[in-house]
Amino acid sequence: MTDPQFIRNFSIIAHIDHGKSTLCDQLLLKTGAISERDFRNQVLDSMDLERERGITIRMHPVTVYHEYKGKTYELNLVDTPGHVDFGYEVSRSLAACEGAVLLVDATQGVQAQTVANAYLAIEHDLTIVPVLNKIDMAIARPEAVAEEMDSALGIKADEILHASGKTGQGVEEVLAAVIDRVPAPSGDVNAPLKALVYNSHFDSYKGVVVYVRVKEGTLRKGQRIKLMRGGNEYEVADIGQFRPAPTSCSQLVVGQVGYFMAQIKNIADVHIGDTVTDALNPTAEALPGYKEPKPMVFSGLYPTNNNDFETLREELAKLRLNDSSFVYQPEVSEGLGFGFRCGFLGMLHREIIQQRLERDCDLDLVQTAPNVTYEILTRRGETLLIDNPQKVPDAGQIEEFREPIVRINFLIPAENIGDLMTLCHERRAVYVRTEYLSQSRVILVFEMPLAEIIYDLYDKLKSVTHGYGTMDYEVIGFRPADLVRLDVLVHHKRVDALSTIVHRSNAERRGRILLKKLREEIDRHLFEVVLQAAIGSRIIARENIAAIKKNVTAKCYGGDITRKRKLWAKQAAGKKRMKMIGQVELPQEAFLAVLETDE
Amino acid sequence: MHVPFCAHHCGYCDFAVVAGRDELIDRYLDALEAELARLGEAASVETLFLGGGTPTHLAPEQLDRLLATLARWLPLHPQGEFTVEANPDTLSDDKVAVLARWGVNRVSLGAQSFASATLAVLERAHQPEAIAPAVQRVRRAGLMVSLDLIFGVPGQSLQDWRADLLQALSLQPDHLSTYGLTYEKGTPLWKQRRRGQLIPLSEADELTMYELAMDLLGERGFEHYEISNFAFSGRRSRHNQVYWANHAYHGFGLGAARYVHGVRSVNTRDLDGYLRKALAGESVTRASEQLAPEERARETLVVQLRRSDGIERAAFTEQTGFVLDELIGTRLTTLVEQGFLHDDGQHVCLTRRGKCVADAVIERLL
Ligand SMILES: Nc1nc2c(ncn2[C@@H]2O[C@H](COP(=O)(O)OP(=O)(O)OP(=O)(O)O)[C@@H](O)[C@H]2O)c(=O)[nH]1
Ligand code: SF4
Ligand SMILES: [Mg+2]
Repeated sequence: MTDPQFIRNFSIIAHIDHGKSTLCDQLLLKTGAISERDFRNQVLDSMDLERERGITIRMHPVTVYHEYKGKTYELNLVDTPGHVDFGYEVSRSLAACEGAVLLVDATQGVQAQTVANAYLAIEHDLTIVPVLNKIDMAIARPEAVAEEMDSALGIKADEILHASGKTGQGVEEVLAAVIDRVPAPSGDVNAPLKALVYNSHFDSYKGVVVYVRVKEGTLRKGQRIKLMRGGNEYEVADIGQFRPAPTSCSQLVVGQVGYFMAQIKNIADVHIGDTVTDALNPTAEALPGYKEPKPMVFSGLYPTNNNDFETLREELAKLRLNDSSFVYQPEVSEGLGFGFRCGFLGMLHREIIQQRLERDCDLDLVQTAPNVTYEILTRRGETLLIDNPQKVPDAGQIEEFREPIVRINFLIPAENIGDLMTLCHERRAVYVRTEYLSQSRVILVFEMPLAEIIYDLYDKLKSVTHGYGTMDYEVIGFRPADLVRLDVLVHHKRVDALSTIVHRSNAERRGRILLKKLREEIDRHLFEVVLQAAIGSRIIARENIAAIKKNVTAKCYGGDITRKRKLWAKQAAGKKRMKMIGQVELPQEAFLAVLETDE
Repeated sequence: MHVPFCAHHCGYCDFAVVAGRDELIDRYLDALEAELARLGEAASVETLFLGGGTPTHLAPEQLDRLLATLARWLPLHPQGEFTVEANPDTLSDDKVAVLARWGVNRVSLGAQSFASATLAVLERAHQPEAIAPAVQRVRRAGLMVSLDLIFGVPGQSLQDWRADLLQALSLQPDHLSTYGLTYEKGTPLWKQRRRGQLIPLSEADELTMYELAMDLLGERGFEHYEISNFAFSGRRSRHNQVYWANHAYHGFGLGAARYVHGVRSVNTRDLDGYLRKALAGESVTRASEQLAPEERARETLVVQLRRSDGIERAAFTEQTGFVLDELIGTRLTTLVEQGFLHDDGQHVCLTRRGKCVADAVIERLL
């Protein structure tokens, strides 16, 4: 049995792209978990999408062994994603650890997710091992960044290690510091089994693979276990650790991290944060678990061809098998026919799902503009959750319309404070405070509606800060606001999929911009197309798309026929991919016009 | 039959033409003869169309030789139609005499405009003054005359266009073609437009011009029998109606297209290649295609729609094996309701409004 004294469990956390996966490469190489021959950059980023985009999307746990001062230590480390959409993966992995290696890119300094993730680690009571990374780079500025770490997080310069994931410099020291500083796991090995489910994935051959951290007792192969939340019992069929390939072992004892399989068919039966215990000798109390990540961004997905509806349903079900944070539900739109309302953690998450469906499943999809979830308190005293603008009741029935609010931290160069203030002000933000990291870098904190940030705030931030600003946010609750549903009528017919929820003070401007954009996206027709924006029955903006006046091929003689036929057929094929609203053809772009916020 | 030689390359023209290579004419006639000889035996035809290029750019002897070759391989039916395209400045009396001698009974004259400014934008070689005498020469020889006109030329006003139409009418042609100017990709005019050196007329102006042609020519008794073609009763171009019925036709010469036994093919557009291959007795076909029955039916549908007679349901089914209404379904009803198509139960044809936006209508029927 592995003595917990020689186990260290830690996650690697950082802002996006600060080098977590690359440092993991070095840790794996240095400890011999992978050979030079099997090595490839960011070896733990194993999903196709991760490799393509060069970012980590899922957490990746791995077990390595390291000799230190004549003793062999088992190190269970977890590489985590840096992108804000996947922040829940960081929380999950931290709950399985006693320590966190906090990386800071020595060229970029402290960024928004550095702060956010460091606070997460502090909340979990973890020991932080701060590391200045990428010090091989000529433009690294370790002293200045160390000062930023002090002002932002109270981390002192003498605690900070210096390393490079690229050259391997300082990696031994990182391993040593982890062993010296991170506490060994505690827990009673003789108590009944109590293990935390911190992740899972679906394997089409083996069923659900459950990732666990043993908090008390021992998990054995063949053991009868119980998932405490649902009460379901299973027999452990296989048990093992990721090294990094799944490697079977006979048991996991207190303090250890690994996985087990128990012929669980349905991933929905395994709740992340659940407690695994011995069915015959159960523990008295379950672990506290996690808050489930709630999808915050919703949009409709419709097959362009209505016959693809069932295929889309099957593909969504497959995706969901491995991604419980993604939700979907059938819905019907008058304009678009049968489709699904899908919920995502953020825009990147949405983009990834859409890309998988279109690319891997070869589906032509119409996607409606993303919206956030709203709450409506009706006059009758019910609270409705609104994930689709179509479901907003008549104004007369609404007592209070509430929207999700986030606390958002911007980390920006001090010289851009003015521009950022203007940007946030336009988006109904409430200023909270400013913290100086150094003379030139500040953290600005605001509270603002989630709806104002999901689509393009990040791009806008990058543009006002010339690429140097970063942001991080978390939802803090719902607040009442003067919101209305903005409808669009295409040729006098309301198109439900084009409705949006906007603040009343913005409604007219948004309506005008939206119609202008629609006018650009919709081809001219054989008749004049009238576009209107309306709140209830009040028309607030109008645009016309002039009819085609003259469009006729002058010459069509013997030599022209083939060429013309091809041309006409091509144009006709383009029309097929559009959605018909009455007699008007709407291209996919029209449904996203709703997002346009610029004049 | 295609003769690619021209005195000068006009700014809007994307036909298979060459200017300034007249030394190749004799070899070209040899090559044409060789291509015709691949027929094996003479094929009697009902209509002949000698176009280009400018067939009348040839010297009288060359023209004579060409027509003799044609008569040998493609003898014309006694009631046949034989059209030759000509430019006003190329039609001398002796050339007209050659044409008449070989049974040409129709001349299609590329007048394009009677305004020097318009001709200049089009980069045409002839002067307006050359048109009337050319028409008279053809008339005197007893041949029918068709005039080509172009509208929608940059700088052309509605008044200019009316004047062009009236002058053309004053010459009493049997047939008139009015073409909306098309900026064909790669032509000098297209390049000028792309660089902004030339500002095209607005769609609304083009429309008014087209409508003026329809009104004026209609008043004078012309039948608007195809999108761009008008004729007095009984004087329609029989040859061109074959194209719009989607029937079969032969084609010989540089870049020529043919539709024989359900196969469409075109000859190479490269003059040197054409000469070499034809003279070596090889095929000069560059590409060919055979459509699936349904595609062919749809193609028939859209070309026939260009005719004022439109599509005759029974004849369409006989020709294509498809029932019109099954091919286009409810879209027909919609377009009839919107006033772009007319349906009398037997025929479906474009309305006047429909003619102006024929391409958009066609897209909806494919
Ligand atoms: N020069 C240098 N480049 C590094 C170092 N570490 C990482 N990089 C580069 O920085 C980029 C990001 O590295 P990753 O390891 O993918 O970063 P990450 O933190 O895992 O990124 P996410 O998982 O997307 O949050 C890559 O281009 C690496 O090659 C380093 O120590 N030195
Ligand atoms: S004369 Fe006719 S064929 Fe020759 S270049 Fe001009 S338009 Fe083209
Ligand atoms: Mg990574």
